[in-house]
Amino acid sequence: MMRRRSLVALTSLLALAGCQVGKKETAQLGYRGVAEEQNIDVSNERTVLARNVALAPLPPAPPNTPVGRWQNVQVLVNLPAGEFTRTMQAMTNWVAPKTGSQAGCIYCHNPANYASDEKYAKVVSRRMLLMTRDLNTNWRAHVKLTGVTCYTCHYGAPVPRAGLWHETDQNQYLRAYLDRSDVRVQSYTVPPTSANYSSIRQADWTYALMINMSNSLGVNCTFCHNSRSWASWQNAPWTRVSALYGLRMTRHINETYVGPLGTVLPPVRLGERGDPPLVGCATCHNGVHKPLAGVSMVVDYPALWGHPGPWNAKTPADTAYDGIVDRRDAVSGVPTDSSSFRTPDPYPRSRPAPVPPSRATTSDAVSAVGAALGTIAMRAAPAGTELPVSGPRLVARTP
Amino acid sequence: MATITRPTPAASTPDPIDPVTALLPTLEYQNLFTSVQVRTAPDWGVPINQQTWTRQAAPGFSYWLGKIGDAQVGPIYLGATGVASLIFGFTAFEIIGLNMFASVNWNPIQFVRRLPWLALEPPPPAYGLHLPPLNQGGWWLLAGFCLTTSIILWWVRTYRRARALGLGTHLPWAFASAIFLYLSLGFIRPLLMGSWGEAVPFGILPHLDWTAAFSLRYGNLFYNPFHMLSIVFLYGSTLLFAMHGATILAVSRVGGEREIEQITDRGTATERAALFWRWTMGWNATMESIHRWSWWFAFLTTFTGAIGILLTGTAVDNWYLWGQKHGLTPQYPATIVITPQKAQDLRGYYQGTPPDTFPGATRGNGAVRLQQSTPVLQTPAIGNPAAGAMPDASTNASAQPNPAGTATQSPYPGQNPTVPMGAAPPANAGTLPLPKGAPAPGYPQNPANARPRVTPPPGSARNEAPLQGTAPSAKTERRPQ
Repeated sequence: MMRRRSLVALTSLLALAGCQVGKKETAQLGYRGVAEEQNIDVSNERTVLARNVALAPLPPAPPNTPVGRWQNVQVLVNLPAGEFTRTMQAMTNWVAPKTGSQAGCIYCHNPANYASDEKYAKVVSRRMLLMTRDLNTNWRAHVKLTGVTCYTCHYGAPVPRAGLWHETDQNQYLRAYLDRSDVRVQSYTVPPTSANYSSIRQADWTYALMINMSNSLGVNCTFCHNSRSWASWQNAPWTRVSALYGLRMTRHINETYVGPLGTVLPPVRLGERGDPPLVGCATCHNGVHKPLAGVSMVVDYPALWGHPGPWNAKTPADTAYDGIVDRRDAVSGVPTDSSSFRTPDPYPRSRPAPVPPSRATTSDAVSAVGAALGTIAMRAAPAGTELPVSGPRLVARTP
Repeated sequence: MATITRPTPAASTPDPIDPVTALLPTLEYQNLFTSVQVRTAPDWGVPINQQTWTRQAAPGFSYWLGKIGDAQVGPIYLGATGVASLIFGFTAFEIIGLNMFASVNWNPIQFVRRLPWLALEPPPPAYGLHLPPLNQGGWWLLAGFCLTTSIILWWVRTYRRARALGLGTHLPWAFASAIFLYLSLGFIRPLLMGSWGEAVPFGILPHLDWTAAFSLRYGNLFYNPFHMLSIVFLYGSTLLFAMHGATILAVSRVGGEREIEQITDRGTATERAALFWRWTMGWNATMESIHRWSWWFAFLTTFTGAIGILLTGTAVDNWYLWGQKHGLTPQYPATIVITPQKAQDLRGYYQGTPPDTFPGATRGNGAVRLQQSTPVLQTPAIGNPAAGAMPDASTNASAQPNPAGTATQSPYPGQNPTVPMGAAPPANAGTLPLPKGAPAPGYPQNPANARPRVTPPPGSARNEAPLQGTAPSAKTERRPQ
């Protein structure tokens, strides 16, 4: 009898060896019965959130300071001196915090001549400032009213924390970010026509790109798609619209801002083929579908808005996606615009806060998740980072 | 001298020298393993008249093989076709393995670590049905030829051995059905499509990825009715196998394992088994017909699957839309209301083979710049009149084709004057020059990887025949006139 029990126990263990332990939940995101849902590893949620903690804003700049008279300032022009200095300090904290003698202001600046462009990092920073303003003004179809700052990607390090890639033989599919306007391979007609010669290998690359996105955002396929017809917009969750603009935004970033840096970056930053590091979805998302768990940091830094403000003011580019932009107040979450693109928000901002976790750091639990996510390198939150006491959950539960 | 060992009944002590029986003392008749093993002079088999080779390798006995089958191993009849099949099969195996080994720079550690992901890929689609260089899929063609030859020679062998023993040829024809599916995937359908690149790669996970990509490309293979039939017969096969195996095991205590005799001489085992099924489902197969059921289900699994494969991409390019057209797929309320303005933005800019995806020429002119009247993939949705009326070019100014033609438009939305997807960066962009329209420096740096962008010649039919006028519906074939 004992041996039989042992046999049963052993067999059960073997059968369950491939499973992840821990609590799981499923959130319904679409119409019932079509499996549009997001699987949530609840036991892992705290770990993932701890990797994506927004920084508190710096104290406001002293009011009524005059516009600074700086030399060789090309982007942050017409800023009050106080706000200018505050923005510089914030960027230092976000990208090259002072730890030792090599970081801090002098990571980009020559301390003897702050106007000098002799350090490549300063040239790159200027480029990135332009990019940040561009994204916050012209790409709200993706960044919504959360926006981006340097910290969204850099997370306290000069090189962004995750998702950078160089071209190799293995990641040829990622060139879809660059070479193809879209990743569509399915036909719009029942019979074959000359309009679509997409090969199966192309579909394979689209598939690989989608899995890359899935890993980068920590979501499953049905977070954005209706699996009965991947190409259908009408039956898809509206997150797919956001993802579409995310793909285009990534391509835009790589083409316009990051790709040209190959002439500026030192060889140590280039890939084996001499190409600059390009960004992917994980560069901002880092395993969550809302970077920094959806907390807007840019709302406190008008120098990064790229438009006169207020932050949620309509910009000319918004008309291109009229009805698609999620026009909610960044702080209160109250809708500020009506549009025809009104679908239930699968992640409403007003929701009960999770149980406050005990003070915990997460440097130990990250490696397994990082390994599970394959090639997307994850970085732990800095040691001592406290978990958000009340923050958004990764995905809201549909009532 | 024959000795038969049989476990004693459950009430007494189990045979201590039989570890399996000792471990499972109460499962005597629901046995998991063969509990009867025969030891005698090896049986060389019935004499037959026609044989070109002789049976070889003196038979022996294996205790552990006897647990799951017959304890006697051998004699072996290989024959000319068997020898040739093994040679060709070994050649294919070597070509595949060595190509995989070469793909990791002959690093044995990487070979082992990455083996599940390594592949021998078919030629890129650019080569069509032409013979590519060896490292561009030529090895795939050679391996495929050798493997196909090996399989067909093995089929000949099964057929000839069945005939030599005076058997029916049921087994070779069931095998032929599986070969038909194999040939459809790797040979017949690529021929019909005009491209070896349509075929399946060799590799453990790559061939599974191919399966997924195949379904993605052709709009969800689950809506392919022959795929449905294949699944029905596949799952049906497992069901029949389970029912039959369980029935025979259950009546083996009353002699049910002598199925063949009981076809004509129905004993109590058959009576009980038949009555059991009449009680539980009202009807029963017979000792003979259950095997016919099984044979047909197995045969039709691969046969219907092959038909489904052959129809995909040749007759139907999108099975989901096919299902919509024929009322197969249910309708659900729309999640996203698509207005023409949104459709303009959502539908993408290109479809087809991107010009720089693969080296060399492609079929046609490569990627097709979608005309602005091209509809988004539409599915009629419940309670959403706006969606049904979506492609209405006559009332929508933005849906009119661009009079300037496609050549003036940048492929990228950020540079498209009509769709301001992200403004161009300001002129004072630091010290970095911003070459307009030129590929950004830095990628690809390797000239071997630099692929020229191919623009369709201005006179080509595809470029000259945009889809103007009335917007086509999803049911209209959009073929350039």
